[in-house]
Amino acid sequence: MSLADGVPHEAVAAKTKTHNVKERRAAWILTGPALILMVAILLAPILVAGLLSFTNYSLGNSGFDWVGTRNYEKLFTRSTYAKMFTATLTYVVTVVPISVGLGLGAALLINSLGRFREAYKTIYFLPVMATLLAMAIAWEFMLHPSIGMINRTLEMGCGTFLERIWPFMANGCAGHFPVWLGDKRYAIWVISFIGIWQGFGFNMVLYLAGLTSVHRELYHAAEMDGAKSAWERFRLVTWPALGPTTVFVVTISCIRAFQVFDTIEAFWPQGGGPNKSTYVMMFAIFEKGVQQNLIGIGSAITMVFLAFVMFLTLIQRWLVERKVHY
Amino acid sequence: MAGLSITNINKRFGETEVLKGVSLDIADGEFVSLVGPSGCGKSTLLRIIAGLEEQTSGDVQIGGTSVAGQRAADRNLSMVFQSYALYPHLSVGENIAVPLKMRRMNTLQRLPLLGGVIPGKAQRAAEIAKEVAHAAEILEIAHLLDRKPGQLSGGQRQRVALGRALVRDPAAFLLDEPLSNLDAKLRVQTRAEIAQLHRQLKATFVYVTHDQVEAMTMSDRIAVMMGGRILQCAAPETVYDDPDRIEVAEFIGSPKINLLPVELSETGQVHLLGQPLSLTTGRRTKGVGSLGLRPEALFLTDRNAPLRGQIVHAENLGSEMFVQVEVNGLGSRITFRTTPDKRASLAQGATVGLDFDADKALVFDAIGARVRDIHSTTTSKTEVA
Repeated sequence: MSLADGVPHEAVAAKTKTHNVKERRAAWILTGPALILMVAILLAPILVAGLLSFTNYSLGNSGFDWVGTRNYEKLFTRSTYAKMFTATLTYVVTVVPISVGLGLGAALLINSLGRFREAYKTIYFLPVMATLLAMAIAWEFMLHPSIGMINRTLEMGCGTFLERIWPFMANGCAGHFPVWLGDKRYAIWVISFIGIWQGFGFNMVLYLAGLTSVHRELYHAAEMDGAKSAWERFRLVTWPALGPTTVFVVTISCIRAFQVFDTIEAFWPQGGGPNKSTYVMMFAIFEKGVQQNLIGIGSAITMVFLAFVMFLTLIQRWLVERKVHY
Repeated sequence: MAGLSITNINKRFGETEVLKGVSLDIADGEFVSLVGPSGCGKSTLLRIIAGLEEQTSGDVQIGGTSVAGQRAADRNLSMVFQSYALYPHLSVGENIAVPLKMRRMNTLQRLPLLGGVIPGKAQRAAEIAKEVAHAAEILEIAHLLDRKPGQLSGGQRQRVALGRALVRDPAAFLLDEPLSNLDAKLRVQTRAEIAQLHRQLKATFVYVTHDQVEAMTMSDRIAVMMGGRILQCAAPETVYDDPDRIEVAEFIGSPKINLLPVELSETGQVHLLGQPLSLTTGRRTKGVGSLGLRPEALFLTDRNAPLRGQIVHAENLGSEMFVQVEVNGLGSRITFRTTPDKRASLAQGATVGLDFDADKALVFDAIGARVRDIHSTTTSKTEVA
């Protein structure tokens, strides 16, 4: 074209060059706002928290000292933080499998229904929609050792055959039923129960969405191939087809479980349950960083928290890319 | 392997009657196509035979025994689905092995890790692997056994689906439009291969398709279905040359049969556009009807042509040529077949005269039933002219 137009070759090259520069500039201008926002809102705070975790900074102080890894050393040596990790991991390991399992079960049951589907969906999804803080107050009343509904209901079992076959019942009737929120043996399990109750409806909705993408003809193929029982059809068709959904649901549930905070703050605003048995990471961050204004140690817990979440996310990415995509 | 017998099958979905008393006998080793437009009930009938759908009334027998109340898994039939329905998480080899594993291994032996230590598993697995290899060899997919379905082309997936069907020697094969997801070229190739497979296995095949060409080229018999009924079930050439009803004549054949409105007089004389044709019928009742002329029944003629018109379109397929003519006084087009060497005289807009082979003319009465008793009166043709 350059020859036909009689334009010298160099001029064309120069033109292309200026064109390229322009294009590059336009690209930067267009991506700029998003890039700036991402750095300012997401990356910079993490970086700042990372830096602060190596200091003894407190809000309001004019300066701070670098303390090296002392915050992290505290985190991994002091018994309070050992309790923090125990409480967090107990919660995650309990809540994630049960809420995922219940979510899947509920989704399968609802999916097999002809009528009342929407009603069940709404009922199971209600706890997800409800404000957990408000629900926590309701739970607190129900769990009250003397006037709470749960212990009152348990008392009704006294004198019946339940007392003979269930030692827990016998002990309760002889002495008193658990104090639930005041007992370090029960507190974390009560929190886990509420977490499951609150979270499985969300997993159920995700699984219901996943189930719609299962090819109907595969069930017919499975039937023709001799898969007679529901369990065989589930193993051969449903479960593999739900692979990507499961990876997503498990990751989301894990992250949500790591983030548990509002129930604990509502039940024990003054510090992580009886004998710190429910002193989870999110609450520790809040207590150290906000209540006690120990920004350094708060940031260190935050960094460990982020590392956990990052680790989970990476596992999810790996699974999604390598294992469950057909 | 066994024959199938379907007796007076009715099927309703709520208010809609999908099948209205369908009966069909399929001999052992026969290849029968169920062909018809979409919504005619052919797939429903196949699914009723398979046991995936339950008939409202009627009976299905496989090898002389009624399978009423028997679920699909117990009927010993194999099915190839339109979407192939391969298990996406299993390799090709595992996909083909599924029907054998489901039938020969118990639940414990099928468990992923624990299954390995259950007695008898290793021996069964070896047997199954051997049979899978054999099926793969028949279909020439042995090199694909380790791949996942997602890594295969449409044609290869189709073969895997066939492999999964034939690996366990079923009473009959049911194929539900297995070629409709393939491109045109592959379809022609696979068509021949399925026909070859049928000859090789000597098994009973029931093949559902909406493509009359597939039905014509592969089947021993074609059952033409429309509106929930089988209109005609006969050998492909019979359905083509000697259709019982106008719908069958219209559905089978490409390009479509030409249908011209005719009048039948009390004497049995057939009139077209008010002119008597060189055809009489044995039926001596006055009324209207249709004259069906396949494109190859028509030929060009200069004199005494019963049909005249202008060429509006010509399609040269290389070996043959189909020409559409707007017929004077008829207001519709008819298509005739000719050889491409005549194309010089077949320019668009040219006026041509057409006559037809009286032996190949099909006459239908007002309700579309075939009028068979037809005589050619070649002598009267000259008189008329």
